[in-house]
Amino acid sequence: MFAYIIRRVAATIPVMAIVALLVFSLLYIAPGDPATIIAGDQASPADIERIRMSLGLDRPFLVRFGSWLWDVVHGDLGSSIFTNLPVTHMIAQRIEPTLSLMLITLVISLTFAIPLGVVAAWKQGSWIDRFAMLLSTAGFSVPVFVIGYVLAYVFGLTLEWVPVQGYTPISEGVVPWFENLILPSIALGLIYMALIARITRATMLEVLSQDYVRTARAKGVGQRGILFIHALKNAAVPIITIIGIGFAALIGGAVVTESVFAIPGLGRLTVDAILRRDYPVIQGVVLMFSFVYVLVNLGVDLLYTLFDPRIRY
Amino acid sequence: MKRRTFLGSTAAIGATLAAPRISFAQSSRVLRFVPQANLSSLDAVAGTQYVVRNAAVMIWETLYGVDSNFVPHPQMAEGHTVNADFTDWTFKLRDGLTWHDGEKVTSKDVVASISRWMVRDTMGQKIKASLDAFETPDDKTIRIRLNKPFPKMLFALGKSNAPVCLIMPERIAKTDPFQLIKEYVGSGPMKFNTAEWVPGSKAIFEKFGAYKPRAEKADWLSGGKVMNFDRIEWVIIPDAATAGAALQNGEVDWWENPISDLVPLLKKNAKLNVDIGDPLGNLGSFRMNHLHPPFNNPLVRKAVLMALSQADYMQAVVGDDTNLWKTCPSFFTPGTALYTEEGGELLKGKRDYEGAKKLLKEAGYNGEKVRLIVATDVGITKAEGDVTADLLQKIGMNVDYVATDWGTTGTIRAKKDAPSAGGWNIFHTWHAGADCINPAPYTALDAGGDKAWFGWPKSEAVQKGIDDWYAAPDLAAEKKAAVAINKASFENVTYIPTGFFLQYTSWNKNVSGVVKAPFPVFWGVSKS
Amino acid sequence: MSVTLPSEYAAAPVLSDVLPPVKKRGRIAMFVHRYPTIAIGGSLLALILAIAVLAPYLWTVDPTAIAPAKRTRAPSELYWFGTDMLGRDIYSRVLFGTRVSLAVGFAVATVASVAGLFIGLCAGFVRILDTVVMRVMDGLMSIPSILLAIALMALIGASVQNVVIAISIAEIPRVARLVRGVVLSLREQAYVEAAIASGTRVPKIIWRHILPNTLAPLTVQATFICASAMLAEATLSFIGAGTPPTIPSWGNIMSEGRALWQVKPFIVFFPAVFLSMTVLAVNLLGDGLRDALDPRLAKRI
Repeated sequence: MFAYIIRRVAATIPVMAIVALLVFSLLYIAPGDPATIIAGDQASPADIERIRMSLGLDRPFLVRFGSWLWDVVHGDLGSSIFTNLPVTHMIAQRIEPTLSLMLITLVISLTFAIPLGVVAAWKQGSWIDRFAMLLSTAGFSVPVFVIGYVLAYVFGLTLEWVPVQGYTPISEGVVPWFENLILPSIALGLIYMALIARITRATMLEVLSQDYVRTARAKGVGQRGILFIHALKNAAVPIITIIGIGFAALIGGAVVTESVFAIPGLGRLTVDAILRRDYPVIQGVVLMFSFVYVLVNLGVDLLYTLFDPRIRY
Repeated sequence: MKRRTFLGSTAAIGATLAAPRISFAQSSRVLRFVPQANLSSLDAVAGTQYVVRNAAVMIWETLYGVDSNFVPHPQMAEGHTVNADFTDWTFKLRDGLTWHDGEKVTSKDVVASISRWMVRDTMGQKIKASLDAFETPDDKTIRIRLNKPFPKMLFALGKSNAPVCLIMPERIAKTDPFQLIKEYVGSGPMKFNTAEWVPGSKAIFEKFGAYKPRAEKADWLSGGKVMNFDRIEWVIIPDAATAGAALQNGEVDWWENPISDLVPLLKKNAKLNVDIGDPLGNLGSFRMNHLHPPFNNPLVRKAVLMALSQADYMQAVVGDDTNLWKTCPSFFTPGTALYTEEGGELLKGKRDYEGAKKLLKEAGYNGEKVRLIVATDVGITKAEGDVTADLLQKIGMNVDYVATDWGTTGTIRAKKDAPSAGGWNIFHTWHAGADCINPAPYTALDAGGDKAWFGWPKSEAVQKGIDDWYAAPDLAAEKKAAVAINKASFENVTYIPTGFFLQYTSWNKNVSGVVKAPFPVFWGVSKS
Repeated sequence: MSVTLPSEYAAAPVLSDVLPPVKKRGRIAMFVHRYPTIAIGGSLLALILAIAVLAPYLWTVDPTAIAPAKRTRAPSELYWFGTDMLGRDIYSRVLFGTRVSLAVGFAVATVASVAGLFIGLCAGFVRILDTVVMRVMDGLMSIPSILLAIALMALIGASVQNVVIAISIAEIPRVARLVRGVVLSLREQAYVEAAIASGTRVPKIIWRHILPNTLAPLTVQATFICASAMLAEATLSFIGAGTPPTIPSWGNIMSEGRALWQVKPFIVFFPAVFLSMTVLAVNLLGDGLRDALDPRLAKRI
């Protein structure tokens, strides 16, 4: 098992190298460079060329890639072309909001989705089942920003229960931190809720029809015991798979949510950097994303062993 | 967890959330401002973005500063002396000027700053071309000796158009003018808090305690900059609807540029003020490539001029509010001294599509593709681009609509290659009205062919007009030169102004002292 | 049924029916009763397809004709869904946008399925390729599709093809994983081992045994990809890297009108409703297909 973990972690390195090369090449070929944006609208072509040279953007591809790679291996992700702040600093500033958003989204989704799926499976075929599934499918069908706007309007502007935008670090109080995150989390979480509810229901249905559940029932174990102790534990594996897969979708949806609710997260950082061609930031963030994604996959695979002792690596 | 405790805590949380938000009551010493764009750097000399200039004028100062009539007054300088033919200027710094790190401002800092600025600015380049020497007889005196007269020196040093002649410490001013500065130390009324800066989200300015404002009343860049806030927070909200909601909710105090469609909503709100932000407004721009067909043919350019409807463009850009736009058959800013409509007859009156089609045929236009580059991530250029696509189709031209982003537009427009080889035929932008009041800051007016701005128009008549303006001894002569420039620019159709438009600004009623200016003025503003 | 027997055989007389005859349900009604989700989803989708095909005949005008003087008018008799910020008729734009959104959805589903199938089969069968391919898939999944879309847009200019490419690349790894999983599990089956042992060539094994088994989960997956691709197109338009403004799509209608949603909600409302209905229809169809084809598949999304 230990060897498996080592092998998987070692395998992340070639993955990240491939990703780094892909991204770097893409950025290199894409037209537009930060020099034009720095120079501003009224600058002359000669000015722009001077700025390009001072940024080292006129060097050949391999030289630029090599020099960046060398720095990365030494732990230096470079500095933003515009702000001159170290890329690691800019990423670090935005990790807390992004992680907070994902954490609360996950908690809210799981809290509502799993019971929904369990109840739907328990009362399979009834109107509760159909209604729950319709609800979850509907949650899957509306664009995130539409939900976001409606939530912000109703709960933020009209009822004034929570602020409409911004982020408060947890160090300034848990309640303000939560208040800023609850609307974006719901907007982002509806998709997750839909996926998890459906998967939970489907797995529970399969498990509930198994022999050992019938035996447990025959032995007189209460309904709640069956549902939660036996069935849910066995349903955990596919649920965790979905959480892992949904993680990538979450990143995409998070960009939209961060824009609508003005949360200073990594998604918004990436998009801004791309539009400005802030190469060090783009490369640093994508590299970090791929690293985290691979770790999440590894974590998911390891969690399997916890819930299903048959799975061994 | 026991069910009872779980329910209990849920109820508690529910109760806290349900209580209406009593107040986003922030201290009256903190101002929260939503700027027009993200602040990604602070170098207003190397980079000419408007938002950078707006922030920089809080941190740094200028030797002279213009007032709302564009008349320069002493700011960092105590005064000046100049000889009869404007070739020998001496400035003396006023007392009490210190940098944010405690050091005193000296003449060496001033010389280094002016030297850096001279490389990038059009007026500065003219000074540099005729510079004999800088002299610093003592710590507070600067002498500039020229070999050609330059009567507009005070305006050059005090203007608010980017690049602004900001005075920085010598070590920072020694940065290459084509590289962004890395340190933000100035002598202005606010310090920049680099530690709390979250680019793309928040920029914090703090009051500089040791700043001594001048005695006169403040007016744009002149006079005493009295700061009534300990802290100014620039909150960057990328989504316009969210910014509107935040302003209505009291989460921010002042929104620089609300989009015009949301303004009726803000006007209805009893807690908010809405007014025109910058009376000098903006001029939209339809820029053609004079190097390649079809727009290398002046008849084709004239054909477009005949059919172009500035009303269409302006309504697309700013909406239905007629207070916000005007047709502008001129290359200069309406409402300013040099404004003239002479030569702009083709833009006035009913639009002539048939005449345009005939003129195109006469010019020999044969269905060549027109490569229209549209930056869809910027509202103004996207609106202009969409109207252009429609206009060109109406007069029978073959449009290739290239939807891309602002950064890429910047690269493409710099290419002199043929459109089929990655070049361009048309792109859009706009110029701040403050940059179009006269030829000095107006890079887009130039028609020097290869050396001109993107599009590379060539017209001897326009260049002569610009030279005449620089040599003009008084306002009457300047006006004559301006008329000549206008007529020649329309004759050649160097580019087509798509109209004049204004933008609103909106702030909470508890904020007072907001003035109309080409940049947001923070001194003299207070909050109750 | 009456059979005429030769007279020498004695037969009992025909008795009258004890119970009234059970009326047989029509075949369609039977289908709807057994597979309600397929029925509802399918018919809704068919309706939307019809709208897409018949758009020019449904009282629409040119969706790209601008009229800035008539911008942001509320829905009225003249403009059924109102006009947008350039004075274009939203009803026409939404109806023509159906074509683009459906095209994106179907194109992505097809491309991702075909490519994913191919990659998954290779990875499942060729041991050496498996690790390499799966790691590359991991890498692909970790590049945010938004980055890809914006980079492509900057490179070649925004277009429907770029949107399809960007979204497909994000979806292919998932399909590949699914197919690979099926292949791996099937490879262990007795009949496949028997086929290999009896000397059947690999392509024939794939064609005869593996492929039919992958089709069911693949089809279900494809419907979900179609739905999520349509939503992704809206997200990309929101960011500004979606379909170019000259081609109406629900995504870019919503994106253009989103700043005004508080004052002119109809610009976002109508495309949002159409998008939700279509995505819902496709999801229901997928759900129904999955339940019908194999209840065991319900676990493997």
